[in-house]
Amino acid sequence: MDEKKKMPAALDPLKFRAAVYDQIAGEDVGFSNYSYWRSTLRTFFRSKAVVFLVTAVLAMIVMSIVYPIVSSVDPRAVVVDPRQWNLRPSMDHFFGTDSLGRDIWARAWYGARNSFLLGFAIACSDVGFGTLAGALWGYNKKLDPFFVELYNIITNIPSTVYLVLLAYIMNTSYLTLFFAMASRGWIVEARFFRNRILSIRDSEYNIASRCLGTPMHRIAFRNIVPHIISLIIMEAALCIPYSIGSEVFMGFVGVGLPVDAITLGNIVNQGRQSFTLHPYQMLLPTAILCLITVAFYVIGNKFADASDPRNHV
Amino acid sequence: MEQQRKQEPILSAKDVRIQFNLRGQILTAVRGASLDLYEGETLAIVGESGCGKSVFTKSFIGMLDKNGRVTGGSIHYRGEELTAYTTEQEWLKVRGKKIAMVFQDPMTSLNPVRTIGEQITEVITWHFGTEHEKAKQEAIEILKKVGISDAEVRYRQYPGEFSGGMRQRVVIATAIACRPEILICDEPTTALDVTVQAQILKLIKELQQEYHMTVVYITHDLGVVANVADRVSVMYAGQIVEHGLVREIFHEPAHPYTKALLQSLPQLGVKGHELYSIKGTPPNLFKEIRGDAFAPRNPRAMEIDFEEEPPMFQISETHWAKTWLLHPLAEGYRAKIEAEDAARKDKIVPDSPFDYSHAKKLLQVKDLSVNFKLGAKQFKAVDTVSFDIYKGETLSLVGESGSGKTTIGRAIMRIYGSNVEGSILYEGEEITGRLSREKAKDLHMEMQMIFQDPMASLNERAKVDYIISEGLYNYHLYEDEKDRERKVVAIMQEVGLSQDFITRFPHEFSGGQRQRIGIARSLVMGPDFIVADEPISALDVSIRAQVINLLNKMKKERNLTYLFIAHDLSVVRFISDRIAVIHKGRLVELAPCEELFAQPLHPYTKALLSAVPYPDPDVERNKILLTYDSRMHSYETDPPVWTEILPGHFILANRQEIAIYQKEIDDAAGRRAE
Amino acid sequence: MSRYILRRALRSLLTVVIVFVAVFMLLRLMPLSGYFPPEMIKEADEATRMVYLRNQGLLDHPMVQLGRFVGNMFHGDLGRSLTVYPKVPIATLLKEKIPVTAAFGFASMLIGIVFGVGLGLFMVRFKDKAGDKLGTVFILLVRAVPSLIYLFFIQVWISKWFNLPLIFYKDRPISWILPTICLSLSSIAYYALWLRRFMVDEENQDYVKFAQVKGLPKREVLKRHVFKNAAIPLIIYIPYDLLMIIAGSLVIETLYAIPGTGGLLTTAIKSQDNNLVQVIVLMYAILSVIGVFLGDLLVAFVDPRIKLTEGE
Repeated sequence: MDEKKKMPAALDPLKFRAAVYDQIAGEDVGFSNYSYWRSTLRTFFRSKAVVFLVTAVLAMIVMSIVYPIVSSVDPRAVVVDPRQWNLRPSMDHFFGTDSLGRDIWARAWYGARNSFLLGFAIACSDVGFGTLAGALWGYNKKLDPFFVELYNIITNIPSTVYLVLLAYIMNTSYLTLFFAMASRGWIVEARFFRNRILSIRDSEYNIASRCLGTPMHRIAFRNIVPHIISLIIMEAALCIPYSIGSEVFMGFVGVGLPVDAITLGNIVNQGRQSFTLHPYQMLLPTAILCLITVAFYVIGNKFADASDPRNHV
Repeated sequence: MEQQRKQEPILSAKDVRIQFNLRGQILTAVRGASLDLYEGETLAIVGESGCGKSVFTKSFIGMLDKNGRVTGGSIHYRGEELTAYTTEQEWLKVRGKKIAMVFQDPMTSLNPVRTIGEQITEVITWHFGTEHEKAKQEAIEILKKVGISDAEVRYRQYPGEFSGGMRQRVVIATAIACRPEILICDEPTTALDVTVQAQILKLIKELQQEYHMTVVYITHDLGVVANVADRVSVMYAGQIVEHGLVREIFHEPAHPYTKALLQSLPQLGVKGHELYSIKGTPPNLFKEIRGDAFAPRNPRAMEIDFEEEPPMFQISETHWAKTWLLHPLAEGYRAKIEAEDAARKDKIVPDSPFDYSHAKKLLQVKDLSVNFKLGAKQFKAVDTVSFDIYKGETLSLVGESGSGKTTIGRAIMRIYGSNVEGSILYEGEEITGRLSREKAKDLHMEMQMIFQDPMASLNERAKVDYIISEGLYNYHLYEDEKDRERKVVAIMQEVGLSQDFITRFPHEFSGGQRQRIGIARSLVMGPDFIVADEPISALDVSIRAQVINLLNKMKKERNLTYLFIAHDLSVVRFISDRIAVIHKGRLVELAPCEELFAQPLHPYTKALLSAVPYPDPDVERNKILLTYDSRMHSYETDPPVWTEILPGHFILANRQEIAIYQKEIDDAAGRRAE
Repeated sequence: MSRYILRRALRSLLTVVIVFVAVFMLLRLMPLSGYFPPEMIKEADEATRMVYLRNQGLLDHPMVQLGRFVGNMFHGDLGRSLTVYPKVPIATLLKEKIPVTAAFGFASMLIGIVFGVGLGLFMVRFKDKAGDKLGTVFILLVRAVPSLIYLFFIQVWISKWFNLPLIFYKDRPISWILPTICLSLSSIAYYALWLRRFMVDEENQDYVKFAQVKGLPKREVLKRHVFKNAAIPLIIYIPYDLLMIIAGSLVIETLYAIPGTGGLLTTAIKSQDNNLVQVIVLMYAILSVIGVFLGDLLVAFVDPRIKLTEGE
């Protein structure tokens, strides 16, 4: 024992006897009080950009609901007096007026409301039908060839051509626009969710549930939904920029909504035609539109990152 | 070995501290570890996962993750101070050329989209500037050396065309293509089957001889250590707590942690008795550790262990340990402990074997086949397998990965649909195919399964309460909420979980605790029969004993019958009454446990037995490795039959082979009679 | 390998047939008003119109129409344009327009790959630094903002800043620059995004660490191992890229008045020229299927893993 010198100067001989063995302390693994959702939200809101964008989106949604109720300005009211046409932004008209004297600020919020409605409707339908079909596709082997072929057919046609084609065949209306987008979106989502559901189906904890005789509905709500809910939220969020973008595109090609429909897409397309003379007519509504699409895109992606447990502290 | 003491170490690490910055928190993965490495020796670093052994050795070649760095101590290598290296340029002088490393998983260590030839050749051309053609010749030579036949053809193939063992050979070939002085093998065989593991260990030994390398093994498997190591360093919570020659560590362990590790091995346990088990888990290295890090898990710790960190004490010329037990003041206490241990050892008598004379058949499997579709091809995962399980016994099903053992377990649990052929009878009634609701409910309550991976087998988004209650909910096996809660708490206590855990989520638990939650989930149904699918193979060594003890205790208390699926014969010996060996979807041999170990007949069983590492250096050094090649049978004209060659001893053999086995049995009987 | 290609080709052929029939049937739902030549829209009563429709075979059973269309197609007859270029055979029209669209398509595909991969590598090189963030913002804008909006601003502003022509002139090569760049923007963003993501993912793989342990410097490992592995899945996206370029050409050819098929489709839709719409949509659909097939084929050649799982 030649290391004695290094030892602390005075060692208490009484300490060299059995200590009380504390079984609980031995088992301690450092209880962290971890909750998946709390950590996801904390990770999500840690980014300042996310806080800003979420606030902005909420504000815009509130504004688009409240404004049409509170305001007395009619976004369709055409003014006969040419002096009221093409006015620059001012305190009377925050975004100015267009070539028919309509208030662009009012039109922007009515438009935002309609675009939001369309977007949310598409998000609900795409993700709703997508998950259902994805579950069917993943769980039923016999349906696989059918879904694969359907997926090939629908996605092999470029989305723009598909949208244009459907809108061309039907009359231009909100319903048409919705149908054109929704009839394509669901299968894309279905494939995405199918892959996720397949991996859950074959996971050990799901097999454990089957060994316990867990009925299908409880497997769905306890084993599957909690694991894909964050993906559902992400995909739904990404539907918004897609639907708004498609609306703008279809208006441009000439199969969009009728001219008198007030949507952000129509406002932007109309503003584009007078852009060289009165740029503000396009720029300001475009700013709102871009803020919406960028916000939802970023929120969707950041949420997906935050919902990955690997990114939790 | 003796002359090594006199020479200077080629690599010497002193008081190395390594810290990681994990989102603002500091994790001290290595807390002042020291190590000397002598030329030509084989050093094994042993420890549980998370004890820092991998991180420690990675610091020798500057391969720490970006958020980690060496914050103290020194690493001397050939006159260079490695901790002073900051640029990649400096590390390149050492990496590969001087110190090479082999990783655990051969499946991921090679680039899947480049040929293995390219991957070896690039090392040679890069390090030695050899021209391509010549490097290619050298690469082919090395491939031959690591035991790859048709090296010229194999050179042009991709990793995907190699089996796991072959890939590990290629990885080793790549590593030694740099002609390193030191080869660090990080769990080189953990991902491989036992028979392949034995071959790889042999290969590394041969290469070490040929190239005069110094080899460092990092492993948690004491069997491997016993086989390969000259010296052993035991690591715990970021420190080397004991190091010495392999015999010293195995036969005269000094540190309580080393002792506990060895005592908890099922290979060294006595059948029917509790294994020594280490409670709890290694400490959280985010926190400051006071005293001896192992003290909270050591039931016989001394008070000083909680207060002061022990120094290294020298026991012999080569043997050192870091524990207060070696302090002169502890002499009295040490003597007391040793006396206690000796007394306990004397008392242990093995249980008498399971009595089959009155045993009833609980489960009968007849000509079971399971087919899977792989693309357009059919593939038979299980091929006409027949066996019975008696009420109250533990039957172990042993085989390598892909042998179909898990498939059999799942087929019994009725996980598969129409791809199951043959029949499975439970208490005399057919349970394959469609069953009535009532019948299915009965079966779910009587047969349960325990899973391999404690991480994957619990639903991450559900609380412990729901996980354990799932079966109760399914069949409404409770009167009211209170009754259900009472049942859950009762079973949790039975498996040794605190009832406070009921509202927690699975990721807050250690592997052993999670496995106990999984066991509670099955037991709450009150089953008679349990399929345990490799319940301990994903667990750390120190935790295995807990789970084995729990399974044994439950079996006794609840009179359970187990089908225990495993890949490790030596673990299975401790718990099973009978063992069935499966190879490529077919049972090859089934016999009572001790009979199988005493008199294995099938060449595959023999090969398996010879390959299993046993945690005793004296046994490991003297063993003869047998290999099995299924081409040795001539089954075309004379197909094999599942035959009972001795009472209760079944074997898959054709007529010609049966005659040979019969002779073997008679010879052995004759020898015993003499 | 050849069996894999054959199987894949047969599948694609089946998809082409199904897509063709499905699209053709859908197009039978087009408003019949879109079949009248300009002079008939103004005058002609109901009876004359019906006679016209019957003569054109538009009242026949859809399957009969399909048979006739396919029969004519093999003789190089794709019908005639109705309103856009009255009475001009569509085959002649396409012969003129396809080369323009194809030239733009290939040019921007090439630019997309080169600059997209370049940007992706740049972002990996400066990961988490200013360059990476700048690239991320670019990708974000291209992917989140409706393409029409940024394409419009590019046309209006960039052309002014660099004094480039606002629209396309066949004989002024300088006028080709802007539309080509515009057409490749979404591809650039796409390749950069995925190359960066794949490379970052690959960097954490064991084989990359093993290659470093072998003694290769990081730069060399990135070049020899990471890049190739990350580029393979990108090849799967080339056909998708083709679809995006087709989609983009609809907008860009209209914005810049480029005489290609994309612009032609928008014009045909606006002036309700059913025959023209039908042929162009069918052409795009078939093109897409072929693109996807070629992408799969390409991957099978570069990725040894496919041979192992699919081949014998």
